[in-house]
Amino acid sequence: MEERPHIFGIRHLSPAGAYYLRQFLEEKKPKLVLIEGPNDFNDQIENLTRPETRPPIAILAYTNEAPVRTILYPFAEYSPEYQAVVWCREHEIPCRFMDLPSDVFLALPERSGKNEEEKKTVYDLLDEKAGEDGQETFWERSMEQAADRESYCQGTAMFGGNIREMSAEQEADWPENLIREAFMLREVENAVKSGIAPSEIVLVTGAYHAAGLSNPAAEPMTEEEFAGLPKIAAKHTLMPYSYYRLSSRSGYGAGNKAPAYYTLLWEALNSGDFSHAARSYLSRIAGYQRKNGTPVSSAEVIEAVRLADALARLRGSRFPALRDLRDAAVTCLGGGNFAAVSLAVADTEIGTAIGELPEGVSRTSIQDDFYRQLKECRLEKYRDLAAQELSLDLRENRRVKTKKAAFLDLSRSFFLHRLRVLSVPFGKWEKGKQDNATWAEHWIVQWTPEAEITLVEAALKGDTVELAASFSLKERIESANVLSETALVIEDAFTCGMASAVSYALKALQAMTIDNVSVPELAAVVDRLSAVVQYGDIRQLNPEPLVPILEQMFYRACLVLPGACVCNDAASKEIIVSIGRLNAAVLSHDFLEEETWMEILKEIAERDDLNTKLSGFAAAVLLERGSLDDESLRLEVQRRLSRGIPADLGAGWFEGLAMKNRYALIARLSLWEDLDRYLETLDEEEFKRALVFLRRAFADFSALEKDEIAENLGEIWGFNGQQVSEAVNGALKENERQMVESLDDFDFDL
Amino acid sequence: MIRIMEEQVQRLPAEQLFQKEIDALIKAEKDPVPTGWRMSPRSVRTYICGGKAGKTVITPKYIGHERLVEIAISTLVADRALLLIGEPGTAKSWLSEHLTAAINGDSTKVIQGTAGTTEEQLRYSWNYAMLIANGPSKEALIKSSVFRAMETGTIARVEEISRCASEVQDALISLLSEKRLSVPELGIEVPAKKGFSVIATANTRDKGVNEMSAALKRRFNIVVLPAPADLDSEMEIVKTRVEQLSANLDLNAALPAEDVTKKVCTIFRELRNGETLDKSQKIKGTTGVLSTAEAISLLCNSMALAGSFGNGTISDNDLAAGLTGVVIKDEDKDSIAWKEYLEHVMKKRGLHWLGLYKACRDLL
Repeated sequence: MEERPHIFGIRHLSPAGAYYLRQFLEEKKPKLVLIEGPNDFNDQIENLTRPETRPPIAILAYTNEAPVRTILYPFAEYSPEYQAVVWCREHEIPCRFMDLPSDVFLALPERSGKNEEEKKTVYDLLDEKAGEDGQETFWERSMEQAADRESYCQGTAMFGGNIREMSAEQEADWPENLIREAFMLREVENAVKSGIAPSEIVLVTGAYHAAGLSNPAAEPMTEEEFAGLPKIAAKHTLMPYSYYRLSSRSGYGAGNKAPAYYTLLWEALNSGDFSHAARSYLSRIAGYQRKNGTPVSSAEVIEAVRLADALARLRGSRFPALRDLRDAAVTCLGGGNFAAVSLAVADTEIGTAIGELPEGVSRTSIQDDFYRQLKECRLEKYRDLAAQELSLDLRENRRVKTKKAAFLDLSRSFFLHRLRVLSVPFGKWEKGKQDNATWAEHWIVQWTPEAEITLVEAALKGDTVELAASFSLKERIESANVLSETALVIEDAFTCGMASAVSYALKALQAMTIDNVSVPELAAVVDRLSAVVQYGDIRQLNPEPLVPILEQMFYRACLVLPGACVCNDAASKEIIVSIGRLNAAVLSHDFLEEETWMEILKEIAERDDLNTKLSGFAAAVLLERGSLDDESLRLEVQRRLSRGIPADLGAGWFEGLAMKNRYALIARLSLWEDLDRYLETLDEEEFKRALVFLRRAFADFSALEKDEIAENLGEIWGFNGQQVSEAVNGALKENERQMVESLDDFDFDL
Repeated sequence: MIRIMEEQVQRLPAEQLFQKEIDALIKAEKDPVPTGWRMSPRSVRTYICGGKAGKTVITPKYIGHERLVEIAISTLVADRALLLIGEPGTAKSWLSEHLTAAINGDSTKVIQGTAGTTEEQLRYSWNYAMLIANGPSKEALIKSSVFRAMETGTIARVEEISRCASEVQDALISLLSEKRLSVPELGIEVPAKKGFSVIATANTRDKGVNEMSAALKRRFNIVVLPAPADLDSEMEIVKTRVEQLSANLDLNAALPAEDVTKKVCTIFRELRNGETLDKSQKIKGTTGVLSTAEAISLLCNSMALAGSFGNGTISDNDLAAGLTGVVIKDEDKDSIAWKEYLEHVMKKRGLHWLGLYKACRDLL
């Protein structure tokens, strides 16, 4: 190509770039503007500038098949590309995207992981070269604060040249970039063929490509070459985006650490007074602090502005860069302490802006599916920015005619649970409000733009809500390395009503080794599976396949439980929870062998070499289930609470016993006689030891229960129950308190 | 400013110690110099953080956090008072001395704050004999360092400001906001010349400090000096300072080997942070702060021991004597923590640490 079009090299997401680009376009008055971006998005250009559109928005293209590859170009209001489109619209001049169409782009060989790392090092290298300032700040000083268009263009040329130089040594990106540039030149050639002179065309492209495109040796791609490029089935869409997302993506082009601050720069540029940005940054920080209860005086803001200016001068830049401003804010408004202003800094630099697109523009198939289901489930009125409560009754509604209507609430529940699994923040499950009614569910439903964004992102996982949910469940199964994680997936799959995912997770669970799994882990799995088996039918799912695995887990837990009872007091808490869970599972399912369970409990209750608290607790469970008669209990109490057995062991046992069925214990007068007799036998030191444990055992008894114990004791000692109750429930006297406090220093290691 | 004969002095002020570097920087100056300063802000940064002036190499005085130095300098450029806050031994006074040495060539306008510091010491007092004989007169006026700094447009230092009583601290409030000092007895007001400022330092962790009022804090830009970020930078600081100090002291001993410095810094960091460097093990902390400054003086002490009573290189015994003294400040609690550290951490580090372990163990 002989004559080249005008090329305006930019830095992506650069306010100064957007500003000077508009100037450049005004001056050149082109007849066509070509912009770096996949050219199959040309049909979306109109949508970019519709009045309802509000940046940040993003261009998203993704492959149909796994492994999913994506291209994402976010645009903020200050993106040069976006402003180019806006300018063309204002002047009714055609503009087009000129980069490879996304189906070709996505088919280019993937950069291997190693190359990804190398790519990072280009920027790391830049960081090192930029010194303590880092490259972000360096480019901010040299480009965003450029004195005029010329120096901006010099800055980008240097930027593009530097990266090109550094990455040219590495082969990874090189061919891809050459292909893209050849395609861009082909687009230019086509435009020229259609009768537009090169001098009437402006190319808007990243600084990196600007250097390549202006190289006279570069040739446009031929028709055959283009036809020979591989293609892959891909979809594309526009999507709303958010400043938060922009800031959380690192890397040049894809993100921008401080979008709200860059918006301030953009506004300052357009107002004609660049120093305005620094002042509004610091005033905003001060404003945020005041709103949140920290007084900040204007004098302090003035000092901060002065300090930021001085810091900028020290670095030789005309205006403070973000780094100077932040340091000034920390020093003058935060008393030298970053934590004091960190929230204000996040709010001022990142902000909470969320983009908007006209209704119907962003329509991936998963969104279509979402809206269809919203309609089917009659949830449309919940697609509202105000939060609304939704109570579901999962049972069949027998008063309606069609089957679909009969299970409306159930399908709503499935739908909301699937969205929950996809982390789409639409419905919030109020699990705590279940009221033990297994057929009732409570949700707080609220539509947010954030939900739309996550929904679009879920498009990468599948075409419908169900497919995407099942994909993400599968992902979780594959990455799970603990039994209980897999069990949680089963539970989730169940609440989502996805039978195939349940059986897939089940297979994964069976394949996992249970040899070295701890009792609490097993009990947690049993607990989850038990719940699913118990309530499965309400969700119209057959829980039958879960039964054998539940049996297996339960049996395994029984086998290892006695061994696990050799533990210290800290670990015993978990085991107690586990025993409770296993017991509950036996009670709810006939197919779990009750006999085995009772034998295990008896073994734990009787053995003397286990943690005595656990033995006591096992006895309590037996007592609750009526498998421990009065006589055996009395004998056991006497045996456990007898002289010669260390006091802490005896009292620990009693603590375990007292954790359950207190009324049954209180009602047995003989038990309190035994306890009394036991305490009598102890000497002072032993009594102190026992007291610590007993005090803990009785700590969570209610006042009423304490009253009744007092009555028992009164009877034994021959006092009036009332008097004893007063003594027991009354506040401690000073000398008593001292005695009790002295117990805190009691050294158990001796 | 009083010039003192170098040989007789225990410790020279920074501007005399580093006079060559300061002169070189002034000679090589390229950037504009603010009113009342002797060199440009950039040269001050070079003086503190190290670099080159013409052919002269400038040694770094403060290592690790260049940005904090920039903030400090920028604060002073803007005629704003600077407050350096930090735990003991984070080089607050050191930095303040060098800043004034570079900016004014004079680090001696200093008020050393104590619980007994009075307002007169911050403002002015009188030669009472003259006052009684002749009544108030300019001749009878004794100017404080702050007074003199205002007159000359230079920087005054207030060390350990948080040790002064709160009333005394507050005397600075109006001085700093109005930038003038009135002497009602003489009916005059002294305006501060351009270039006047104050650098104050304050401790956060020591006992016996007074909280600073919010009004006073607002008059300062506050820079918090952190403890060195990692082992390497702490070793670098210790090494540089021990070199500089020992050159002055004629200790007759070789500089501590890399290995010795590393051991000391490791022990200090671990006890200070309450966990081992690899974060694998929790450690009982000590009551003392165990600052970098203490590590420096510990090594100098050990050099003195080695030079005077040993063979001139620091042995494990020299080190152990110093360590025990530095670590155990509160007899009961610290000796338990130290014992635990010796048994659970140091002993398990293997042969390399065995000598030091035994030497420390013997002293307990």
